[in-house]
Amino acid sequence: MNSITSPSVPRKASAKKGNFWLRKGNKIAPYFFISPFFIIFGVFGLFPLLFSLYLSFHYWEPAAGLAAMEWVGLENYIFALQDDWFQKSIFNTAEIALKSGIPQHALAIPLAFFIHTSFTRMRNTVIGIYFVPYITSTVAISLVFTTLFSRDFGMVNQVLTSLGNFTIADMKVLSWLFPTENLDWQRPEYTKDMISFVVFWRYVGWNTVLYLSALQTIPKDLYEAAIIDGANRYQQFRYVTLPMLKPMAFFAVTLTIIGNLQLFEEPFIITGGTGGIDQAGKTAAMHMFITAFVESDFGTASAISWILFMLIAGLTWLNHKLLGGSNN
Amino acid sequence: MKIAIKKDQLVAYIIVALGGVIMLAPFYFMFIFSSHSNSGILSIPPPIFFGEFLVENFKTLIDFLPYFWHNISLSLYVAIAVTFLNLLFCSLAGYAFAMFDFKGKNFLFVGIMATMLLPPFLGMIPTAMIMSQIGWMNDSKALIVPAACGAMGIFMMRQFIVSSIPKELVEAARMDGCKEFKIYYRIIVPLITPAFGTLGLITFIGTWNNFMGPLVVMNDMKMFTVPLALRALQGTGQVPWGAVAVGAAIAVLPLLFLFVLASRRLIDGLTAGAVKG
Amino acid sequence: MITFKKTAVSSLLCTALLSGAAYAEQVEITVSSFPNFNQVAEAAVPLFEAKYPNIKVKIVSMAYGDHHNAMTTALATGASLPDVMSVEAGYIGRFAQSGGLEDLNAAPFNAGEFTAQIVPFTLPQATSSNGALRAIPADIGPGAMFYRQDTLKAAGVSEAELIKDWDSFIDAGVKIKEKTGNYLISNAVDIKNIYIRSNLKEGEGLYFDKDHNILVNSPRFKEAFRLAKQARVAGIDARVGAWSAEWTEGLKRGTISSQMMGAWLGGHLQDWIATDSAGLWRTSHLPNNAFASWGGSFYAIPAKAKNKAEAWEFIKFMTTTREIQLLGMTEVNAFPALIEAQDDPFFEEEIAYLGNQKARIQWKEASVKIPTVAMDRYDEAARQIVDDALEKVLEHDADINTVLAEAEKQIKRKARRR
Repeated sequence: MNSITSPSVPRKASAKKGNFWLRKGNKIAPYFFISPFFIIFGVFGLFPLLFSLYLSFHYWEPAAGLAAMEWVGLENYIFALQDDWFQKSIFNTAEIALKSGIPQHALAIPLAFFIHTSFTRMRNTVIGIYFVPYITSTVAISLVFTTLFSRDFGMVNQVLTSLGNFTIADMKVLSWLFPTENLDWQRPEYTKDMISFVVFWRYVGWNTVLYLSALQTIPKDLYEAAIIDGANRYQQFRYVTLPMLKPMAFFAVTLTIIGNLQLFEEPFIITGGTGGIDQAGKTAAMHMFITAFVESDFGTASAISWILFMLIAGLTWLNHKLLGGSNN
Repeated sequence: MKIAIKKDQLVAYIIVALGGVIMLAPFYFMFIFSSHSNSGILSIPPPIFFGEFLVENFKTLIDFLPYFWHNISLSLYVAIAVTFLNLLFCSLAGYAFAMFDFKGKNFLFVGIMATMLLPPFLGMIPTAMIMSQIGWMNDSKALIVPAACGAMGIFMMRQFIVSSIPKELVEAARMDGCKEFKIYYRIIVPLITPAFGTLGLITFIGTWNNFMGPLVVMNDMKMFTVPLALRALQGTGQVPWGAVAVGAAIAVLPLLFLFVLASRRLIDGLTAGAVKG
Repeated sequence: MITFKKTAVSSLLCTALLSGAAYAEQVEITVSSFPNFNQVAEAAVPLFEAKYPNIKVKIVSMAYGDHHNAMTTALATGASLPDVMSVEAGYIGRFAQSGGLEDLNAAPFNAGEFTAQIVPFTLPQATSSNGALRAIPADIGPGAMFYRQDTLKAAGVSEAELIKDWDSFIDAGVKIKEKTGNYLISNAVDIKNIYIRSNLKEGEGLYFDKDHNILVNSPRFKEAFRLAKQARVAGIDARVGAWSAEWTEGLKRGTISSQMMGAWLGGHLQDWIATDSAGLWRTSHLPNNAFASWGGSFYAIPAKAKNKAEAWEFIKFMTTTREIQLLGMTEVNAFPALIEAQDDPFFEEEIAYLGNQKARIQWKEASVKIPTVAMDRYDEAARQIVDDALEKVLEHDADINTVLAEAEKQIKRKARRR
């Protein structure tokens, strides 16, 4: 007989309407629901964006007031790109990104795998411990790190040198790996390492959690098939886990790239806003800030921020090409 | 074979434990330092146990930052407001993208995602200018309104709704003649409370810790948020490290507290987010 | 008749009302400042408000860097400007040039009436290239050398030897290192900083001259670099940055036996850096008859400020009242910019911390001899470039001539907008 869901004729007309409605939903409602984002973005996101683009083509010395802007076309961009301070800040940013980013992911993946497979009871505690650095205030923790990295009085040096000076039978067995004298972390050679460590410390837990969430989605039968084929743990990891992690890796690496290229707070606090000796700790975002407020050149600062944006977009696209599958 | 695995695992356990120590060490020292004097902190070897200067450091903190309590309450107010607004607006938008078909839907969604690429400092200077033109300088509105609906939140909400609420549920409700907004708060909201928990926590944390945003908009020490206030301590010639540590500890405590309370929820929420329904 | 009476009464009433209103008209001015400069203003406010009962003063203070950033933004947008803006020497060059501050020589301010009473070298610092005086100096920081008498004695070095000239200064450092193991100075960069401030010709600034020519590829800089390198090679500097933890500990323990800085360092040493070494420190002039200034604060009125007349009263009060200028000295060791204020028994006092030395007289002498240094918008950028160049010389054995020639080119690129 008729199915329960097919009553008589009158339904036919409304069914058409109903089907349409069911599929698409109310015409206006979705626009209404997404409007807050666009309104807010329009006023506080889009307008500043466009204005900073406009600014980047002008010479503007802020203390002179709004009326003092002068059109200079691409001059700010050309200057910024050729400026060796800018280039240096890009190198610094890249170096810090690599030194902090690669360990972040290289450690997060095996860590997530290990937690996923070996910890049951303590799982959330362990994750929690690794995640805690992420939730802290960058400013607060960077200030604490500044004391910890102090040359003569910092904990880091104390630990490192005691390891380096660890003597067995009159021989400093670990001196090839650890320093035997206090390192001056403020020296240009070490500034980036110090900053990279702080960034790494902050995000390794975050990445672990991301990878862990991806690991949960890998179907167990893939592993079972691999075990049947005689794969050991390492091979399972390499041939089942890693490929399946690719989409999450893409997402996580994208976030790392974006985050690192915008890195401002840690180096700003650690170098006291100066960028360090020989500007070794000056990231690109800091350079923009300093150009604006110390050199009093808002126009070039805007140009720098746009150049950075293009860099970020470009690298994200590259990352998409290399690792990406689905959209983020 | 069995023993080999165990040894293997033992090394891994040790590394994880060591890593855990490194993760927690700065916190530990932060709390320890807050109870020592400057020369206590800067001594060889550094202190490992609590000292007696906690009260004095606290007094120094208030000396340098007379408005510190106001800073804390301001940070709290802004964080709660932004979190609440985000939960509201992002879930609405996430619902729209998940359960509706409308013109330009994909284009708009990609557009929203693209805004995540924009570095915050891009609009920093013009934002300061806008704020001063509309008179929101030193006003908490300047921190709350621009952040009221974040792209990341929309992404999370959409993801969660798509993966955990069946379309048929919504369709049935529509067939019953239910208005869209009613569907939202009767059906959707109760079902996405885990996502609320996760997004809420992340938003709260992010807002509380936000440094660059308030940096350009707050000129009056009274209206500083906590990160700005801490940074102000660094500006003096004589950095009162003990007071800094006290301030840092206070800045971190609410977050730690929230985190301990909600960590299970948060981690489950984050780790389950990718599961497709 | 009635009309006349009405008019009379109403005009009387009006006058009464108006004068009553004028009498009760309260103006509140905002003064923005930074530590420790704000302490002087705060101490002075009660006295000011007593003298001008219709003006209320609100002081807004932020950390040095934040304050100047906020002022830059405020000047840029023309909004949230204070009535009185404090500016420190590090930023005065930029702000004075900009045009966002009132020219205080012009009417109705007419600062020219009293500027002769202010220490001469400070006024050009706040003067723009078109002759406008954009700020009034409130305090100055005459440079001085602080040293540990006991360390010098142990090494057999006299003060005269220490400061006779730079070569003898470095020799003294070597002796101190040998005999006591202590460093002479905290950083070789200090030597460079002082040397480049001495022997300036008329119209010269540190890095640029009045016509914006770049001066770094010159004997003055080459000699400065050479001396700094010599000190570094001799191992007499502790290689620490000023105000760092290592620096404060070094001064505290005496492992750094001297420091050249503004005279206000004496107050810091006494108050918190080296509280246990009372009586062991002395102060002298800088080596080789160099006279330089460290810091210095100014008051300015933004062109878009609301209450300029009242702001001007405040500035005059702070900068030309003898008692207030002395107040700065007693509160925060802010050396008066008002010449008359330097003439006070207070300056004759013996300072116990410095072994009963009449240090303030010495600083007063120094302040008169500080040369006028022309300020330039790009001074800060040039400073960074020169410091980076020096770093190469000190740490990487670079050749001084090459490095300075390179620096000149870099500065030229940076200072591209005139």
